[in-house]
Amino acid sequence: MTFWLTCSPAPLLLSLQVAGVVLVLFLVAGIALGYALSQPIPLRGLLDALVSLPLVFPPIAIGFFLLMLFGRHGVIGGPLHAWIGWDLVFSFPALVVAAFIAGLPLVVKPIQSAIEGSARDLIEVSHTLGKGRLATLFLVVIPIIRRHIVAGLTLGVGRSFGEVGITLMLGGNLLGSTETLSLAIYNQVLDGNFDCATRLSLLLGLLSLGLFLLLRWLGRAG
Amino acid sequence: MKPDSRIGPHRSAGEERCRIFDLGSRLAAESGSQDLRASVDFSRAGFRLRMGIDVPSTGITALIGPSGCGKTTLLRLLAGLETPRAGCIQLGDTIWFDSDHRIDLPSRKRWVGLLFQDYALFPHLSVAENIAYGLARGPERAGQVALWLERLQLQGLADRRPETLSGGQRQRVGLARALAPRPSVLLLDEPFSAIDISLRQSLRLLFQEVVADRRAPTLLVTHDLDDVRYLADRVGVLINGELRQLGPTAEVFAAPTDAEVARVLGWHNILPVTTYDGLRALGGWGALELLSQVVDRTPDVLAIRPSGPRFCVTHGLEVELVQVTQMDDYQALFCRLPDCSPLRIHLARSEPCPTPGVRARIWIPPECILPLPRSVPFPDSVPTSSAPSRGRRHA
Repeated sequence: MTFWLTCSPAPLLLSLQVAGVVLVLFLVAGIALGYALSQPIPLRGLLDALVSLPLVFPPIAIGFFLLMLFGRHGVIGGPLHAWIGWDLVFSFPALVVAAFIAGLPLVVKPIQSAIEGSARDLIEVSHTLGKGRLATLFLVVIPIIRRHIVAGLTLGVGRSFGEVGITLMLGGNLLGSTETLSLAIYNQVLDGNFDCATRLSLLLGLLSLGLFLLLRWLGRAG
Repeated sequence: MKPDSRIGPHRSAGEERCRIFDLGSRLAAESGSQDLRASVDFSRAGFRLRMGIDVPSTGITALIGPSGCGKTTLLRLLAGLETPRAGCIQLGDTIWFDSDHRIDLPSRKRWVGLLFQDYALFPHLSVAENIAYGLARGPERAGQVALWLERLQLQGLADRRPETLSGGQRQRVGLARALAPRPSVLLLDEPFSAIDISLRQSLRLLFQEVVADRRAPTLLVTHDLDDVRYLADRVGVLINGELRQLGPTAEVFAAPTDAEVARVLGWHNILPVTTYDGLRALGGWGALELLSQVVDRTPDVLAIRPSGPRFCVTHGLEVELVQVTQMDDYQALFCRLPDCSPLRIHLARSEPCPTPGVRARIWIPPECILPLPRSVPFPDSVPTSSAPSRGRRHA
């Protein structure tokens, strides 16, 4: 046990908190976006491109653009600071935004392809039987693709644990405040503390594996 | 089911001016009529569907055609699952779609009973839950489900999941689910295509019995001629996105308007005509006597019924017998004519038949021969229930 306690548990707790919040966000936004993108909605191509962007765009560059956008002098961050005195960058919400953006395509894409592949006919049947889009989502889509939802959530939350680039730019890597588990490993390596970096890396690996097994079990049990 | 949720935008018959194709065709709404009338122009990825059809509220109307001709697309347009580029769809006086007035009633408000080709049962729901899906919640729901389980002989299967059912059982569940909410229109997409041949006839009878009770337009899409013969009161022939013929089933089968329609309707023998000489038609295959002289037009082909020609020693077409197949109640003979055109004839099993490879003469009675043009477009105007039958060709 002392092996693990030589490093501060704060980054671990912070990462778990971020993962918990993004899990809820993924559950809502991931399903909603996956469902929307599988329907013939206006501006579907643009929305699809925006959601998929983090898959192909370098995270550090995304983090930089978000910093420009949400910084105190940014297009969105400026008015927010001026009107309500709230700053997103270098705060807990910044970590959540970073993890959310990085993991979103990994949640949305499996859900979208599952709906397009196996639920489209059933959605149409539901509509002909008098059900609207929301009722169809809850009565047909979610029960049918629940395993794909679980797979997407696993990938998304796993990605949020490992997220560094966007988190570094938007969260600021402030010790004791926005230092997530991945950033803590990075910081320990920079400080030459390889023992602690090894422990934290093993911890991160076990956490991801545990999450994977848990969500897979939930998917099968469902 | 909420009665008012069925109601789409209304328009009186006098105000009706549903136009399409700039040809001024009209959907003349008859007061009190619940016929489904559609006139649609739809295109996607190089395919175009451009047709008008009237589906009466009584009997079954079938739509037949080769694969890819637009049968399923028409059903999807009627159900509101696809949107026409232009046109009008109305049930009685209720407008479902009108491109001129930007009316497009969503699928869920059309109350269409749609039976998909693969039935598309909800895999996570039991048989009873599938049937109940379109029914309004309330104390009557369970009773209605029980009623439909009984009517479609599904008792004992109520708690089973679709994956555990046979093809015939799935089809009945799909039909029960489509019929249970008492849909305003019933659309059936190849309902028997995934059923074993041995089961088809009993399911057709059951289907006919269940559908006969209803007074709502029923459109059956199929490529199976037996489905049409057994079930349909009227049949339309769809080729390359165009309705080529529509009329009473027996009439359409007996008198196809052109060679392409004849092929779809199972006329196996289509011979090209070179010229006419009085009552004789001539071609590379030889000469055939016709029942009456062709004077007002120049048909391009002769359609020949397979069950009429007989072997004859003295006269008739010279053929080479290629293959003989013994069917249940007849012999199917595949012959080759002098110009290599194929000729298929059916002989009673009791009749003598030469061996394959032998050259012989076949006499074809004039009443088995139908002179036809290669293709005749169907008029764009949408038929109304008061219009004359479309069983015959429209010049």
